[in-house]
Amino acid sequence: MKAVILAAGEGTRLRPFTNSRPKVMLPIGNRPILEYVVHALVANGVRDLILVVGYKKERIMSYFGDGSRFGANISYIVQDRQLGTAHALTFVKDLVDDRFLVLSGDNVIDKEMVSTLLSLGEGNSVLVTESNEPSKYGVVLLKDDRVVAIEEKPRDRIGNIINTGLYSFEPDIIPIMEAGVKIGNYGITQVLSAHLPDMRLRAALAKGEWDDAVYPWDLVRLNEIVLESHGQAISGTIEPGVTIKGSVQIGKGTRVRSGTYIEGPVIIGEGCDIGPSSCLFPSTSIGDGVSIEPFVAIKNCVIMNNIVIGAHSHLCQSVVDDNVRLGPGFSCYCGTAYVRMDDGFHNVPKIGCMIGDESTTGARVVISPGCIIGQGCRIGDGAKVSTNVENRSTVI
Amino acid sequence: MCGIIGYTGQREASEVILEALRRLEYRGYDSAGIVIMNPELTLHKRKGELAEMQRTLPQINGHVGIGHTRWATCGKPSNENAHPFLDCHGRIALVHNGIIENYMALKEKLQNEGHVFTSQTDTEVIVHLIEKHDKGDLHQAVRAAVAEIKGTYAIACIEKGSGQIIAARKENPLVLGLGIDENFVASDVTAILSYTNRVKYVMDGETVVITPEKVTIYGPDGEMVERSSQTVTWSAEDAQKGGFPHFMLKEIFEEPQAIHNSLLGALDVIENGEILPNVQFGSIKIIACGTSYHAAMVGKYALEELAKIPVTVELASEYRYSPGAKEFPLVVLISQSGETADTLAAAREAKRRGCKTLGITNVIGSTITREVDEVFYTRAGPEIGVAATKTYLTQLIALYIIAIRIGYARRNLSHDAMWNELSKLRAMPGAVQSVLDKAFDVEAAVDMLVPARDVFYIGRNINYPTMLEGALKLKEISYIHAEGFAAGELKHGPLALLDSTTPVVAVALTKDHTYDKMMANISEVAARDSPVLAIGCEDDKELPQVADLVLRVPCVDPLYSPVVVTVVLQLIAYYVALKRGCSIDKPKNLAKSVTVE
Repeated sequence: MKAVILAAGEGTRLRPFTNSRPKVMLPIGNRPILEYVVHALVANGVRDLILVVGYKKERIMSYFGDGSRFGANISYIVQDRQLGTAHALTFVKDLVDDRFLVLSGDNVIDKEMVSTLLSLGEGNSVLVTESNEPSKYGVVLLKDDRVVAIEEKPRDRIGNIINTGLYSFEPDIIPIMEAGVKIGNYGITQVLSAHLPDMRLRAALAKGEWDDAVYPWDLVRLNEIVLESHGQAISGTIEPGVTIKGSVQIGKGTRVRSGTYIEGPVIIGEGCDIGPSSCLFPSTSIGDGVSIEPFVAIKNCVIMNNIVIGAHSHLCQSVVDDNVRLGPGFSCYCGTAYVRMDDGFHNVPKIGCMIGDESTTGARVVISPGCIIGQGCRIGDGAKVSTNVENRSTVI
Repeated sequence: MCGIIGYTGQREASEVILEALRRLEYRGYDSAGIVIMNPELTLHKRKGELAEMQRTLPQINGHVGIGHTRWATCGKPSNENAHPFLDCHGRIALVHNGIIENYMALKEKLQNEGHVFTSQTDTEVIVHLIEKHDKGDLHQAVRAAVAEIKGTYAIACIEKGSGQIIAARKENPLVLGLGIDENFVASDVTAILSYTNRVKYVMDGETVVITPEKVTIYGPDGEMVERSSQTVTWSAEDAQKGGFPHFMLKEIFEEPQAIHNSLLGALDVIENGEILPNVQFGSIKIIACGTSYHAAMVGKYALEELAKIPVTVELASEYRYSPGAKEFPLVVLISQSGETADTLAAAREAKRRGCKTLGITNVIGSTITREVDEVFYTRAGPEIGVAATKTYLTQLIALYIIAIRIGYARRNLSHDAMWNELSKLRAMPGAVQSVLDKAFDVEAAVDMLVPARDVFYIGRNINYPTMLEGALKLKEISYIHAEGFAAGELKHGPLALLDSTTPVVAVALTKDHTYDKMMANISEVAARDSPVLAIGCEDDKELPQVADLVLRVPCVDPLYSPVVVTVVLQLIAYYVALKRGCSIDKPKNLAKSVTVE
């Protein structure tokens, strides 16, 4: 069986982290979200994968290649204009001649999800799940196991069953999608909604892990969830006098220097330089090529790649993008905050800061909870930042 | 330079050999051929790309065979000159990579003895020599034949009615692949990686008997040689294009990861002296060919600045024949493949002169690793596109690491300064990624170069060799005549060649102390009406006033700027070739690793 993975979107609500990569390539536990989807499929014997790519597609192609590193055969379809998911499906017309799966590449799923989907048998069907925040998603109204309506991001609470974006389709769905796209319905749910009266779309309740990063702070939560199931694997050089507790993974070429204290779950990538005498607490992911200088404390953070964290820094519940350089004494404490996004304010109970690609801070910079620092910002020595900072701004 | 493959086992040999030849095509592609035993030795060979041979190939069933993809050295590309070659009676078939120097004399002798030749190649003498010596033991016949030839070779041959392959090597790469009830022999690991990752390397002067059950290696004096197998960690899919239209573009987009990989050992080298534990030498000489030579020139600037040690750079093909001054520099040899014939000869020459040698190569277990005292592996992964891209950048990274190591060990760099430099180096994967994120700006900007007959590349300081490399890339894949110049040299002659039909690619980086001089050179060029495509820093506001188009790179320390500037130059060459409709991964007349002298 073939699976079509939709991976063309940018993920604008996850800016600044999607400025330089598509949403599917956001790292959770040091692996792109899309890799979890690929793994879930391969674990169920679904190896022929068609990736629909678009926004920053080279990031995906150079990571996944032809898929054999992951046990899959991956081919790529380029959707140059990301009009929507239904539009994306019209591209696979000549590639599927049997029942096929459609998945979004930007949800963290496990293999149970795919086996549920596979067990549904013939006909068009969709996996649904219960959610505490249905207004972020497409809410599905059911009559027995039949979908009668799908309402995208409803303002009013009309139900708590939501669409996971995992479908099992027969090839006859493609002409329906094509017809929908012709009249300007570019999303799969839009097209399906319009056809629900005269088509049979079954829904099945998802068993298994399904989670979605909608806003930047979700990365911290997702990271916490996936690190739960990580085992122990230590390579690199661990100097004498390092304490390691719980499940900790350390990549090759990484050096952990004396006096460092690591309490898992923590994952550290390749070629990092940690300490001496720094502390890493649960649940933290540190990417590749990261330097953490002496006397740094990091708690529950997603630290991406090629980052320098200056001596005596403190980070908590935060997300730091590639190539960021934090000067000595950087501090970001955590608390409840109203975070300003393009679509309004969000009350986030436990949050540190979010720092975009290539930003730098001078010495002793303090950032208040919930602030988003854009891409390529320069924050001067001693600055205290308590609002969001636009891309490429300078704060003195 | 050619690719050879041999298979003996249970599979359909033609399928294995075609697959392997496809992966060896980068070694040569002007003709290809195959021999399968079924039970006659059935031969099929064609001039042109492998696809042409494959298209015309009839169904030949059999489980033993050899194949060849050719890059002509002796005898022009033609059906007759394609390998494999058979002896007079069609009992022995042979493929060869290398050059036989005394083939004229041998050929004449063999012809007088009644052997009939069908081609102009040097290779054909080997198969007739084997025929002459064959008294029922093919292995002994091969040993007797290679004893008579002068030159270089990697050969594989089979004999009618036998499931064994006999292989031999001298100064050309040869690797054995070990399977279960099947074995392989090939010029390069990538050829056989889809079937096995357990390999044994064959050394100079050795011969090998390969059967489906086992491989037996014999030393130069005929004694059996024990050699343990190695496991290759590359996988065959690394050699696939994975969604990219060309290997070259794929490999350019792999650069951040490749740089990351070559940085992995940096701390062990710099802090712990894992290589160069001893830095007691008065000077350094870097020796290389082609693209690696340009890396060497960049390395000179880096070493002189960070280690304050005098550095000279020489072409391998010149050094090996040079008179040799009385000096004992550390000799650094750079070869991506580790098989470059001239560089290997230079390594031997340096040792003969009593110098300590350090090799920089991408290929684990390659010949150069056995010729030098110490090795730095660039870990860029396999590169299939003939134009070197990611392997060049990782050579630069290797040289920077070595420069910081020597600077630190010789106390020219304090601990803090070493830390600073290392930290700048660690920022390179991100800096390169940000150039790649804007690759499409480059695609749009190259239109001014596409119709050109000649293009000038100018730069100063550490980006002078960078521009030589940029010009080489354009020459290699777009077939436009391109020349790199030190910008200060323009006024000493080349300026006379400039007019409105000769575009100039220039690099001027604001943080570089030669920036003002470069701006003056660009104005000088613009005054001759030459269109200027400039590469400048993100924040540069003056450059657009003198150049027609500006491509931006991150403002990194000028010492490390060749890393980011080169990526732009590679993309320029790629998109120009693409727009001119050139065969990007396989430019005419060029081969990936040059094992001829």
